[in-house]
Amino acid sequence: MSDTFRFVPEDIIPTEADVLHHQGIPIGVDASHTIQDLLTQAMEQFKSSAKPEGMMAEIQQAEFTDIYIGEGQNAEDAILAQIFPRADHLALFALTMGAGISAKIESLFASNSFALGSMLDAVTSLAADQAAEMCEGMFEETLSSRGQTNTETRVLGYSPGYCGWDISGQKRLFQTLKPERIGITLNDSYLMTPLKSVTGLLVSATREVHIFEPGFSYCTTCKTISCRQRLAELSVA
Amino acid sequence: MNILESISTALRKGDDEEVAALTQQAVDEGTAPQEILDDGLIHGMNVIGEQFSRHEIFLPDVLLAAKAMYAGMDILKPQLIKDKIPSRGRIVIGTVRGDLHDIGKNLVGIMLKGAGFEVIDLGKDVPAEVFIDRAVSEGASIIGMSALLTTTAPVMQDVTSLLKEKNLDEEIKTIIGGAPVTEKFAQEIGADAYAFDAAKAVECVKNMVQKG
Repeated sequence: MSDTFRFVPEDIIPTEADVLHHQGIPIGVDASHTIQDLLTQAMEQFKSSAKPEGMMAEIQQAEFTDIYIGEGQNAEDAILAQIFPRADHLALFALTMGAGISAKIESLFASNSFALGSMLDAVTSLAADQAAEMCEGMFEETLSSRGQTNTETRVLGYSPGYCGWDISGQKRLFQTLKPERIGITLNDSYLMTPLKSVTGLLVSATREVHIFEPGFSYCTTCKTISCRQRLAELSVA
Repeated sequence: MNILESISTALRKGDDEEVAALTQQAVDEGTAPQEILDDGLIHGMNVIGEQFSRHEIFLPDVLLAAKAMYAGMDILKPQLIKDKIPSRGRIVIGTVRGDLHDIGKNLVGIMLKGAGFEVIDLGKDVPAEVFIDRAVSEGASIIGMSALLTTTAPVMQDVTSLLKEKNLDEEIKTIIGGAPVTEKFAQEIGADAYAFDAAKAVECVKNMVQKG
């Protein structure tokens, strides 16, 4: 059985600097008054229109193995295949920013308010990332309260569609977790609606378990490279 | 400053109300619609595109200018239709089958329209056959495809292969873009062009149309 929970929009809203950076404005460059005004509007609209919700359910390794195998389309060298068998604890998670905020973004574009629509899209994407990080923290707290972590424990999330875990992995993840309960649906192409939703596996393991050299076949076409920052943080810790 | 320069300047400032008012004024004063389009609106967007390429302005500035361009086009469109003035070219765009991420594709569409092209936006999760069928039925000379996911980028190859299979690859050119796509990938799948961002996409499409 999974727990569902709501996020407070103010808790996951990104920093202004991150949003501007996401919009292509280099760090350290002052945004014009016009851009700053757009940013303020986007932040306010996010707070009023987003209905962020999440859910999480612990899962045993054997059960996750079936989910991971999925439709048999994962990369042979997918990093998660090396990580999850060495985990101490696992949990599936799903979260969404809600249908309302996606509709808001679409309506802004439809009414030619492209700049505000794009800014709100950036705010919402970054908030979804922030919410995913909060899920990692929540799982770590749960485990910690049960005395199941130590100073070397790290909880990190891994999602279908990244690092060799094929997007088709969503199918069995959905069958098990049932994110429909918080309003997320999956289409035939394994894509989620609302678009601003995230699913994945939370892996609680010793720090070293998460560390890898990003030189896999699928790394060559990846432009996300968010793993680099995570790996750097793990190495420093 | 003449009225066309004023339109161009107001557009670059992202002042949509001013652009609409000035465009209406130019129409009322009898300025040729083609002249208003080329020397006012498109001129302004060209400057914006160049400034964006040089990193002098940023994405929000471009999108504000695009909104102003659309405001001017709303006034001008009936005149252009009345005078039977052709667009600079017709292009079909969409996010490929299996992908729902359309923000990048939308930006490309906005920029292309701003540059005077006629854009038929097929939306997201578009199958290969639909790209081709619509390009043929709309008489488009270019198909633009976008993907965000590494898993969906290969669908672009279905389009390029199908065009070859139907002997349409000379008549209809392809341009691709999106996070998992590279110049090398474009060459591998036989796409005619690759664009890193929306400004580059406009530049590529202009070149492709000029080459015919």
